Amino acid sequence: MKAAARALMALAVCSIGENRRDWSVAMRTEFEAAAADGNALAFAFGCLVASWRELLTSEEGHYTLTSYALVLGLMLPMAAVQIGCALLGFPYLYPGQGGLRGALLMGGEHEALMRNVYQGAVPPLALLLLLLGVGHLCIAWATLERDWTRAARIATLAMAGSTTLIIFMGGLFLDCSRALLQATVLAIELATIWMIARWHARLSPAIIEHPG
Amino acid sequence: MRALLDALSMRRLDWRHGYDLMKETGLSSGTLYPLLMRMTDQGLVEAEWREPAQPGRPPRHAYRLTAAGFALAVERAADGEVVPSGASFV
Repeated sequence: MKAAARALMALAVCSIGENRRDWSVAMRTEFEAAAADGNALAFAFGCLVASWRELLTSEEGHYTLTSYALVLGLMLPMAAVQIGCALLGFPYLYPGQGGLRGALLMGGEHEALMRNVYQGAVPPLALLLLLLGVGHLCIAWATLERDWTRAARIATLAMAGSTTLIIFMGGLFLDCSRALLQATVLAIELATIWMIARWHARLSPAIIEHPG
Repeated sequence: MRALLDALSMRRLDWRHGYDLMKETGLSSGTLYPLLMRMTDQGLVEAEWREPAQPGRPPRHAYRLTAAGFALAVERAADGEVVPSGASFV
């Protein structure tokens, strides 16, 4: 029971925004008094309700929810698509022709001519996609940590990787439509991160005014 | 908010801890802390980290009414609400 209360309390403390950090520490300190009185679970649950109320009613809470929505709704699915694409034979990269089988022209007229070239291209292509997927994960992490310098650095590398992928697909497989689509999603992501970083910069003076 | 105002105005100059206020007012932590946050933002309550009575324990956040908060408590009492018995007007 006490472990559940502690877990709820930890969640409450994590959920509260930077400008209310002092309050989360205050709640955690009072939690010990409540626990000594046998009211740990009710107290911790109340604190969780209080911190979620703050999330829903304060601008910093809206900012936090937006960041998580971007990460969970766009960045992680994109990372999953790209990592899955790299590991499962490019199903989302080479449209309409059965992924890797299609890319390698299996059963096609030019298979004998092109097969070796395409087979040579597959490992770097898979590596590139894998790196792009991992890059998405790193950008997501930096966004949640509000480390905009790191996010910008990884975003630059991801854009370079995405451009390389488009050139690669266009030059070798004569079809870069899916790579373009992925690059477009990446561009949307980066534009949204830029807006979120500006929002965070606007909120920061308020955080400095009320430290904790 | 009235229960909290009443409780805080009872001993206006004393610093009070969150858990003690919960027990005194019957409010849950989910109601008390948002109220304290709002009242602090509005300048009705002041908050301070106080050293604990028992050594070795971490400092605790403590609260008391500001002059504006106490004026509001008195105004509400004058409007027909219960005047906190033992309220200090100092």
